[in-house]
Formats: sequence, C-alpha cells, structure tokens
Amino acid sequence: MRVAPRGPDRLAFLLALVPYLQDHDRVSVTDVAAHFDVTAERVRDAVALIAVSGIPGATSQYQHGDLFDIQWDEFELHDQIVLTHLVGIDDAPRFSAREAAALIAGLQYLSALPENADRAAIASLMAKLTRGASAPPTQLLAENSGSAEALALIAAAVVADVQVEFDYLNGEGENEHRFVDPLRMQSVDRDWYLRGWCHLRSAVRTFRLDRINDLRVTERPRTGQLGAVLTDRLFEPSAQDLSVVVELPREALPLLADYLPTLVSEQLADDRCRVRLRLASFHGLKRLVAGLPGIVTVIEPREARRVVADWAAAGAGQYDEVD
Amino acid sequence: MAAIAVEERLFSLVLALIATETGLTRDQVLSTVQGYRQRYVQDRDNSGLERQFERDKDDLRELGIPLEAIDPYDNVQARYRIPKGLYDLPADVRFSPDELMLLKLAATVWREGSLSAESRRALTKLRSLGAGASDPVLGYAPHVRARESSFDPLNRALDRREVVAFRYLKPGDASSRRRVVAPRALVQFDGRWHLFASDREALAPRTFLLSRIVGAVVSVPRTTFEPDETLTARRALDELEVLWQSNVAEIDVEPGSDAAVRLGKRGVVPADPTSRRVNLHFTDVNILADELAGYGPEVHVRSPESLSSAVHRRLRGVVAQHLDAETG
Repeated sequence: MRVAPRGPDRLAFLLALVPYLQDHDRVSVTDVAAHFDVTAERVRDAVALIAVSGIPGATSQYQHGDLFDIQWDEFELHDQIVLTHLVGIDDAPRFSAREAAALIAGLQYLSALPENADRAAIASLMAKLTRGASAPPTQLLAENSGSAEALALIAAAVVADVQVEFDYLNGEGENEHRFVDPLRMQSVDRDWYLRGWCHLRSAVRTFRLDRINDLRVTERPRTGQLGAVLTDRLFEPSAQDLSVVVELPREALPLLADYLPTLVSEQLADDRCRVRLRLASFHGLKRLVAGLPGIVTVIEPREARRVVADWAAAGAGQYDEVD
Repeated sequence: MAAIAVEERLFSLVLALIATETGLTRDQVLSTVQGYRQRYVQDRDNSGLERQFERDKDDLRELGIPLEAIDPYDNVQARYRIPKGLYDLPADVRFSPDELMLLKLAATVWREGSLSAESRRALTKLRSLGAGASDPVLGYAPHVRARESSFDPLNRALDRREVVAFRYLKPGDASSRRRVVAPRALVQFDGRWHLFASDREALAPRTFLLSRIVGAVVSVPRTTFEPDETLTARRALDELEVLWQSNVAEIDVEPGSDAAVRLGKRGVVPADPTSRRVNLHFTDVNILADELAGYGPEVHVRSPESLSSAVHRRLRGVVAQHLDAETG
C-alpha cells in the first residue's frame, strides 16, 4: 500500500531524482518509477517540477540559464526523460542521523540471520552508512539472537528446493508431524515464524519456530503452491468458535491486537473498556488471560471465567500459601 | 496565481542555498526564492512568511541537509547556506548490489512509525546512486515493532538532544513517578524496547522499559545536553546482556506441555532427559512473572524466591478476578 508522501518525503525524492537523471542520458518514466518504487504519475510530476525549477541567479529573476531543462518533446510525446541542463545539485544527498540509524539498527537485527554470519561485512556497511550521514547516527539498536540453527536449516531447504519436516505443537495443544514447503521466514521482534505450504493441511500455514521440534531437511521436493500469495497478516482467522467478552484498560488494547477485538462497551469508569474476542478454544484463552495478569478480566461467558479461574488456581496451588 | 506546492518551495530553497557561497539573509530568501517571493511584500510585515521559513529550515535539517547559519544569533543579519561539500554523499560511500540488497532488507525491518518513514527516505537516497540491488535468494520478512507511543518522541529527542520528562511505572512499583532524563540510546533487547538515558535526578545512566512509560513524553523547554561518547546503544545492550546473564530462573515444566516446548528452546535444559528442570535467563522479574503466569500449572518456579512469589501473587490475583459464587 502506498501512502501519500509528506512534503519532506517529496523533497527527498526530487533531490534523489536529479543525480539519477544526470547519470542516465535518456530514461523512460516507467523505468524510473520501477527503480524508485513509485507511481509513473509521481515521476512525471517530479520531472515537470524539476524542469521549471532553479536558482534566483544574478538577476534574482530565475532567468532561463538559471533553470533546469529537459527535452520537452521527448518527455511529453514519448514519456522519456532527457535532462539537458543542471543547476546546483549533481550528487546524491547524505542521510540524516535518523535515516542512517534506522538502517544501521535494521542491519544489526539482520546480523542474526545465518546468511549474514560475515560480521565484518555488516560492520563495514554500518561504517559506510555512518560516513554517509550528515550528523552522527542516533544510537539505536535491535538485538535478535537465537533461532539461527533452525533458520539455517530452513534456508538450506529453500536453496535445495525441498520440504522440511518437524513435530509441531500448535496453539491448541495438539502435536502433529508436518511436512512443509518453506516459503518465507518472518519475524516479529524476537520471535521467528516459518510460513509455508503444509502438506498435512494442504494450505499455507504459519508455524512459530519455538513450537517446532525435531526439524529436519527432507529429500522430498517442494510440490505445493510455491507461488502462494502470502498476506502480511501472520495468522489467518480459522475456526474460532469461542466468543468471550473481556474487560481491560483502554491503553492495554494493543496487547490484544492479534485477536481483532471488537468494542462492546466503553462506558466504564477509569478509562476501561469491554471488548469481544474470538478464539478457537479455552486452551488459548486461559493462557492469554493468565499471561496478562491483573490487566485482562473475562466477563462472560461464565464457563470461560471458570476455566480461567481453574487454570490459575492449579498454577497457584503449587506454591505454599504465604501472606 | 495558484499556490506553490510545498516541495517546490523546499526544492527551490535547497537549490538557492547550495548555489550561494556567502549565504543569503532571511529577507533575501523571502524576497527572491520561488515559493516565498510570490507572497513577500516589500517593507511590510512578513511575519507569517518568516515563520514558514523557520519551519522549512527544520524540515531540511530533518532530512539531513546540512543547513549552516553564519552569525546565527541575529535573525536579520544571519546568513544561510548549504555547503556543497557537506551536502554531497562522500565519493567513497557507494554500495555493491549485494550491499544494496541487504540495506533494502534492513529498511523493511521497520514497518510502522517514524522509523519506517526514515528508512524509506534512506532507500530513496540510495536509489539515486543508480545501482539496482541483487535479488534476495531467500524469502525473509524480518520485522521489528515499535508500537509504544513513547518511541517516536524519544527517538526525536535523541536526535535533537532534548531533555525529556515522562511518568514511569517502575516494574514492581504501585504508582508512577516523574523522571527527567537526557536520552542516549534506544535498544531492543529480548524483544522489548529500552531507553538508555542519563537521569537528571540520580545523575547516572538508567535504563527504562518503554512499555512502562505511562502518559506522554514531553520535551523540557530550553534544555539540551552534550553528547557523551561513552553512552552508546552498544553499551546499553551490553549492560542488559550482563544483567540477563546474571539472572537465572530455575523452573520445572510439565513434560510435553506448551511450557516445556517453548521455554525449553529459550532456556538451558539439563542433560538428564528425565529432568523437568529448565534454567531461564531474564532481565526483569515482573515481566518474566507475567509470562510464566500464563502457563498456569505447566510451570513451577523453584527460584529465585522473588520470581516464585511474583508468579504466585499473579495467579492468585487471576483466580480472585474470575471466581464466581457457586450457583446450584
């Protein structure tokens, strides 16, 4: 999805476009759009603007020689860009401190991937970004450790174009042996997920790496739908027969974002609200609620309250009563 | 006359300030540069336009454009320019197709908030160098979230070296307290964002969990701070790592359960296959206690005592909140 860019973003595009056009004697609008990953319309608008821009010049009147120029016929008739006169800038701009920091932190996070075991290459790339910034990059890092072994196995399977097999303990507590065509390795913060074509279910499924046991690379070729379109959503809503109403502080709502809460009532004191959640079973519900202790309370149905109370009581019963 | 688009004014401003050697005064900018000059009135009040110029200067700086002010303490006499040598990407900063591929992937790590906008802009600048990236062999979709509402204001304050204040609910405390700090670094460790900052009261570096910052982060007016090269993100991560290593929770897990499978992956499991023990490193008792409470009877904390009592207290609280009077 493309969002309408803000003024500074549009300026950054203009400043990046000029040196690119300078390096390409003649280039089509479509090629530029593909290269910068923007719409052709945005390229045309930008070129039309650049072509009439320039510096005030000696007369402060923006005379002809003080302006950029293009071959207008080529542009208007053939959608081709030929820059014929350049003013002021002729090189790519530097990164801002925060732009460089965002990429450096992203690289740091990626350095956990088995492909990036060459730390020296990453370090030299970070150093280059630092030199390319107009101020020292802000101090920002994200650490992603662990799972390297499993990721390396899955990556090897992708390269060999074969299936992986493993035991999977799903969110409902069921353990099943799976054969999967690996398609994508996705992460959210410290958690990694394998997304692939599951031969047991004959569908695309998402697997949490920490629920996978005995992962092995097989010799079976990948045969499922390798072209399957993966949405950005990690988990597709499946059979969700259980509907419960929970109460929580409004500010804690993001904690339940994965369960697509729908508001049932916000007329509560102290900025609290009630939402309806849909889940597959009590198995997941009791873990969710006990894992947000003191934050989320189940209101109804009554049976759900009892299941949560029993679950927590069984846990608490292991400890000596103290006061 | 049609209004001049924002980007046309900003673009013209950049070109004019790069072209000048000696710098332009504010009045010269307003009276001659495209986008301003159309609205400039000779010998009259131009204060609206002057404020526009101030905002535009901020926008340019946000983009990393080195805007220089000569004689900056006088609004009328100050001359502005963009030194070309500081504007251009240094000639040795060029990237191979493999490096570009990696940078493209690094940019996709951020999908929300200001970091996503900033990495997108960095990619636009990279693309101006012309080279295309090589195709990634593997389908990786790495993603770091920065959902805490305090993230963007802290990141901005970090960049501008502004002292900020916020209310902080220290894990384990019942009520929040106002903290005034100079932000030094933002780091994600063990899946959680931490702010590393110089505490103005304690006069020492402190680490704060972003998820525990309640309410708004506000800049303290007219207070900035000097950079300190010893207070880096690397140091913040190293200190969290040391803390993580030194805290060990000994827990028993029910064999074959969710807890056994998932916590077993993260922790150290004894060689003895009949043992139910898992040793887990952690940074914060209260956060681990929340997580372990979710496993109910599948987890029994043996030590430390602070953790087992925290888990016990949580579970009793959940029971109390969900207990109904028996009917029939």
